[in-house]
This record gives sequence, C-alpha cells and structure tokens, in this order.
Amino acid sequence: MFPGDTPGAESPDLSAALEQLWRKFLPQLEERIAVLERAVEALSAGRLSGTLQADAHTAAHKLSGSLGTFGLASGTALAREAELLCSEDWEIARDAGARLAEIAAQLRAILANRG
Amino acid sequence: MSRRILIIDDEDDIREVAALSLETVAGWDVAVASSGAQGIVRAAEYNPDAILLDVMMPGMDGPTTFRELRRNPLTARIPVLLLTAKVQSNDQRRFADLGVEAVLFKPFDPLTLPTQIAGILGWN
Repeated sequence: MFPGDTPGAESPDLSAALEQLWRKFLPQLEERIAVLERAVEALSAGRLSGTLQADAHTAAHKLSGSLGTFGLASGTALAREAELLCSEDWEIARDAGARLAEIAAQLRAILANRG
Repeated sequence: MSRRILIIDDEDDIREVAALSLETVAGWDVAVASSGAQGIVRAAEYNPDAILLDVMMPGMDGPTTFRELRRNPLTARIPVLLLTAKVQSNDQRRFADLGVEAVLFKPFDPLTLPTQIAGILGWN
C-alpha cells in the first residue's frame, strides 16, 4: 500500500464488485505501463517516433484516470507526471527518459502491491 | 427515486466502474456508450435524466459530442456532466464555458460519485 491509496474503503457489495473489475482490467493497466516502457526503450535508443510518444501520452493519461478510481491515488500522481513528460507539445528530453523509466517501475510496483 | 444515466466513455474500465457505482450505490439505471457517435444515438433512444460524458475520446471528443447533443431537440435539454482526467486550470475553464452542468474529475470515488452527481443536479 502506498500513501493515499485506499482500496477496501467501500461498502461490501461495491468492494467485491470493484475487486472483480480490478482483476478484469489489470492486464489492460499493465499494457498501458508497457507502452510507457516501450517509449523509454525507444528514447534511450534514439528512435522514439511521434506515434509512440503520442501512444505513451495517451497511456499515461488513461492510467491517471483509472488508477485512482481503483483506490491507487499514488499511481494517479505518477501517471500525471508521466503524461506531462510525454506531452505531445514537445519532444521528450533525453534526461526525462530516466524519470519516465522510474515512474513505469513504480507503477508496476503499485499494481503488484495491490495484487 | 430511480434515475436513468447514460455514460459515454471510450475507456471500458472507467465506464464499468462508473456504471457499477451508479447501479450498486445509488440503484440507478445505467446505459453505456463507448464513443461520442454511439452516445448521441443512445441518448435519443434512452432519454436519460443525465449524461456523464468523457472529454478525451478518439473520433468525436466530449465537447463535440456535447454540441451535437444540444443541436438535437430530443437530447438538447438533458443535463450533461463532463468527466475528465485533465486537471490544468485552462482546460477546466474551457470545459466549464461549454455550458455543461458540471465538470467532474477522474479519478473519482465510486462510493461517492452518485452523491456528487445528485448534489449537482439537485436530486437530493
């Protein structure tokens, strides 16, 4: 559990149903993190395309909305930072790639920790 | 009193959590659509008491969908609440200026979302 994360605070019926949805959508959330990881890899290899940057921006945006809805506020904060780093308005700076890699690793840990 | 809500959002996890919240916590009837174009058709058929509309969707985005809903006499008077993960203040002002009932933010708390909507729409 990370600071600000609150899974399990709901009524029993809602909590059980949310848990089912969490399990259903976990692969989708993991795939969104994988998009961020692919962007980091491409950036470090000097071949980040505009399309992959846009995909990473979209993935981060969706993660920012989804994670907190599943009680993972810390994940939303990290995903918002990733969204800014991947902003389509400018090219991702090389040194931002290291931070994006850290964020992706932290997001993986948050998902694993919630189970 | 049971209410009818239409959720228009391309993200299936958000759509399903919001639907679960409104059905389980509030006991409202919920219909869903996964795109703006589908939502416009569904709104005219379903005649909901309110529409929860995502901002960022591929194809027809939330603001465009809202304008189309307002153009159709069948849907023009249905209250629309925008749902967005964008937190920058210039975005918020732009969305509020559209003429929607309110702008709600992702992430939302599934336990309190119905109360929030009911409060905004005066359904208490």
